[in-house]
Amino acid sequence: MNAIQAKLEAIRNQYMEALVKADGSESLQALRVRYLGKKGELTQLLRSLGGLPPEERPMAGQALNELRQEVEASLERQAVLLAHAEDEAMEASDRLDVTLPPRGRGWGAFHPVVQTMNEIIDIFVGMGFSVAYGPEIEDDFHNFEALNIPPHHPARDMQDTFYLNSGKLLRTHTSPVEVRSMLKWGAPLRIIIPGKVYRRDSDQTHSPMFHQLEGLLIDEDVSLADLKGCLNTFVGAIFGRPLDSRFRASHFPFTEPSLEMDVECFACSGRNPACRICKGTGWLEILGCGMTHPNVLRYGGIDPDRYNGFAWGMGPDRVAMLKYGLTDLRVLFEGHGSFLTGGGY
Amino acid sequence: MQISWNWLNEYCRIPLSPEEAAARLTVTGCEVEDIQRPCKALRDLKVARIERLAAHPERADLFVADLDTGRGRSRCVTAARNLKNGDWVPYGGPGSVIADGTVLGRRDFDSIASEGMMLSAEEIGLPGIADEFGILRLPQGFSAGEDLVEALELDDCILEVSVTPNRGDLLSLLGLARECLGVIPGASLKPTDMGEPSSGGNWPLSWDGLYLEDPGCPLYGLSLAPSVQIEPSPMKTRIRLAFSGVRSINNVVDATNLVMLITGQPLHAFDLDRLPAREITVRGAKEGERFTTLDSREHVLSDADLLITSGGVPVALAGIMGGENSEITADTKSVAFESAYFEPLRVSRTARRLGVGTEASYRFSRGVDPSRVLPTLSLLSNYLLGQTGQRVEKEVRVARTRTWEKRKVVLTRKKLHRVLLWDDMKEASAFLERLGLKEAGSSEEGLEFEIPTARADLAIEEDLIEEVGRVRGYELVPSRIPPLLRGTGHVGDEVEAHRRIRITAMSRGYLEVVTYSFIHPRWTEWLRIPESDPRCHGFPLANPISQDQSVMRTTLLPGLLQALQTNIRSGWKDPIRLFEVGRVFLPAEKEGDEHREILRMAGIAWNGRDRRILYDNSMKDDLLSVKADVVSLCQSRGLMPEFCAGREPFGHVGQTARVTLDGEPSGYLMSLKPGILRELEIPGPVFAFEVDIESMLPDRGFRFGQVVRFPAVYRDISLIASLDTTVASLEKEIRILGGPLLRGAVLFDVYQGKGIPEGTRSLAFSLAYGDSSRTLRDQEVDEVHDALRRNLAEKGFVLR
Repeated sequence: MNAIQAKLEAIRNQYMEALVKADGSESLQALRVRYLGKKGELTQLLRSLGGLPPEERPMAGQALNELRQEVEASLERQAVLLAHAEDEAMEASDRLDVTLPPRGRGWGAFHPVVQTMNEIIDIFVGMGFSVAYGPEIEDDFHNFEALNIPPHHPARDMQDTFYLNSGKLLRTHTSPVEVRSMLKWGAPLRIIIPGKVYRRDSDQTHSPMFHQLEGLLIDEDVSLADLKGCLNTFVGAIFGRPLDSRFRASHFPFTEPSLEMDVECFACSGRNPACRICKGTGWLEILGCGMTHPNVLRYGGIDPDRYNGFAWGMGPDRVAMLKYGLTDLRVLFEGHGSFLTGGGY
Repeated sequence: MQISWNWLNEYCRIPLSPEEAAARLTVTGCEVEDIQRPCKALRDLKVARIERLAAHPERADLFVADLDTGRGRSRCVTAARNLKNGDWVPYGGPGSVIADGTVLGRRDFDSIASEGMMLSAEEIGLPGIADEFGILRLPQGFSAGEDLVEALELDDCILEVSVTPNRGDLLSLLGLARECLGVIPGASLKPTDMGEPSSGGNWPLSWDGLYLEDPGCPLYGLSLAPSVQIEPSPMKTRIRLAFSGVRSINNVVDATNLVMLITGQPLHAFDLDRLPAREITVRGAKEGERFTTLDSREHVLSDADLLITSGGVPVALAGIMGGENSEITADTKSVAFESAYFEPLRVSRTARRLGVGTEASYRFSRGVDPSRVLPTLSLLSNYLLGQTGQRVEKEVRVARTRTWEKRKVVLTRKKLHRVLLWDDMKEASAFLERLGLKEAGSSEEGLEFEIPTARADLAIEEDLIEEVGRVRGYELVPSRIPPLLRGTGHVGDEVEAHRRIRITAMSRGYLEVVTYSFIHPRWTEWLRIPESDPRCHGFPLANPISQDQSVMRTTLLPGLLQALQTNIRSGWKDPIRLFEVGRVFLPAEKEGDEHREILRMAGIAWNGRDRRILYDNSMKDDLLSVKADVVSLCQSRGLMPEFCAGREPFGHVGQTARVTLDGEPSGYLMSLKPGILRELEIPGPVFAFEVDIESMLPDRGFRFGQVVRFPAVYRDISLIASLDTTVASLEKEIRILGGPLLRGAVLFDVYQGKGIPEGTRSLAFSLAYGDSSRTLRDQEVDEVHDALRRNLAEKGFVLR
């Protein structure tokens, strides 16, 4: 009995010493073979148990088993520890400078006007407006006549028009889509019309091609109050906070009354007489609007005695320029990488 | 339009500062864009009299003037040659300030000190009032030492007013005065009674008559100044005109302009002796008739134009400009003054077509007040007699084919309330009365108003609502959001698709651009697009601004290439990818159809130049990397594009693909022709795609796949195929021959070269076999796979 126990004790000590020294999976494997293998020390000891007197066998067997299990478990544990250590050593030697530039393509860039247009669309869709489209090459009827601008009328001077040889023209505003939509869907109607428009005009603040976003609401009993509500809400949403607004009387042939909406300068709120954005006036002109002229409703096939409505037209280019602090309209259409990516190079 | 504030106040007392009045006018619809004070800088300038003028003792080009300045004598040296003893002149002594802000002092001119200086018109801020070169000579009637600004009433400001096209009535002091009365509380109108001139009496010369042959001119009046002396206008007139932005010409022409500024009624002065006959006939022009206006431009007329003729000869383009043949000259002795009503659209049409815009045509186009046509002639004669001593006959000649009734418009409480949410009819009526409308009747529904003839823009009830609304103030209308009774709004397929596509493109590294819809006409040539291609036939603009932007694009490619060129020219060297969604414009497919506007997406990728690239080729784009972009873009809308070898006039012969969506040819993917790139001076390859996205607009939803629970079994296959056999056709072949158990075939190797016969390549696919209800046994798979190999071998492929 004591002899066995002593032997086990000796093996255990010997094993523990070796385990501590083991420095890799190979030496661990060697230990496993040495103690637990077919000819391993513990295996052999187990075989030798048969030579013990029967009354000693259970005790000795139990002790032997316990040692076997201990060896087994510690080998497992050590294997995990060693694997971790080995991995870490390997990882440490496989170091990558994480400040190296990324490989592959980065994010591109959005266009300020397209982005702004989308934001404006979302704001009005939230107020129940749906998006409508129409052709950019238009005819005189839809672009002028149906909008209460008869031939030769001086109001045509307000919009210098590009013509095609066929007599068709490039729409000077998105308003023709109002008429097309009224004819297509009738009343009630609540639409916004984003798109490109064209006028013969080119300088720092005018481009021969630019964008408009037009809105039209036709229903029974529509008031200027509704127009003010929708547009004030829009302004607050697009500039991120409620801004003061004022509505000035103006003239558009297709609305009566006609108004222009100015908003409080979001940069200086009128407090900086040298403000670059509002030129010290405290106000930014952002859109024209009004109650749809009964003649336009008639051209759209809608009974002006039953329905009325309001419309507005704004320049997303201008809104984008205000939002992003841009000063030259024309660079919007030149595709400069340095401009679009937000930095020089 | 420039308005003198002081002059305006002669017609309407305005109890506000010019700035306050401007703000109020702007808010109520008559925008004041700017306020200028040309004489603001002037300080301590005096009126002085030249006592003695002598030549400078040493300098032949100079004169020495001794001035009576009221407080003693001052001596000035001048180079001006228009002075004489006894002239009255503006004078600035040392310490005084002239218009440009210069402080005057003493200055020596070769031993003679000049104390300050005598001033020209420009130096007092009004260059336009000079009637000769040199120092401004003032009229008699001042006293030496009088303050110049007070004496000439220079303490004035100019309102720069922008008048909307519907408000022709505001193009006059009387009209503006009425507007001020209407919109400025506390303003009061000063009575101006011009009086109707008498007509029908005789003139002291023979006159054969006035004939109106065209409805474009329903009223024509003519007055006569039988003997005039042409000379510069009085100083006061010249100053008035200068503050109104009108150039002074001579007393007669200035008189017509001055009166026009007051009443808004343009007048024209004919040299009576130069009229071909003693009669005037207003008639339509003959097609092709020629006429030379007084600015020496010859115009070819159409039968829509309206002419003033005399003895059959045109003498004026009605309402626009007089003729060279009858204009006032320095020798003119007798003058006939025309005051007429011309139909706005006729004048507007001719002026626009001929590109001649004048103060007269501007006003006639917007409609003048017919009730002022004849009284303006009275005002003219009063002015000419009172201010210049020129006598005008009391009698005027008048021809008339029409009279004007005052229009009546009803304002109902209901509609007023509908728009403004306010319906105090009493107050509304008071607003309208101040604007010159008269309440002419009332009923339960509302009030009827008589509209002054000057306000042709007020024709329907909505017009009256606008007048009430703007005077009352739109700030008083509440603000409310209309309820969503009609349901929610819809972004719609086009916006949805565009959004998906642009986000996909941007996340794949593309810069979103917007380029012009019109391009240079030579792009078709640069891109070698042949006549037979519809893209060769973009619509040209009839009136482009520049050739660069003169034809509607038929493809998005030019805009993108031009943007790339712009970047390269400005020194951009990095790789760049550009992306655009926009419309192209193509002719109708068959006669009678509408033109086509097609929504496309397009992109180009360029690898940059002259820069060593980190990570080498893995960073470089090629046709296949851009193909991946096209696939992703289409997949973002639930569509899988197909590609096959194709041809484009501008595409690399060996690297051009046709893109098919939903079975329809929809665009191209290609490497641009190297020759074109050379010509465009773009170094290196450019990969481009352009795809119609109409078919991508509908939301197709998405069909999810079945969950695979039994793993597939894999077998490889490697075969040699002719170079003409495309991967797509091979994949298709394998799919068909592989039978129902074949789940997928993935190409994993392509080899061409040593060990493989010329004209062929080796392709290796990894095939996945599987069944949705069980795991396949190796043996089953082998059977199917062997069958596939046999079938392929039978098709002539060499299996390895």
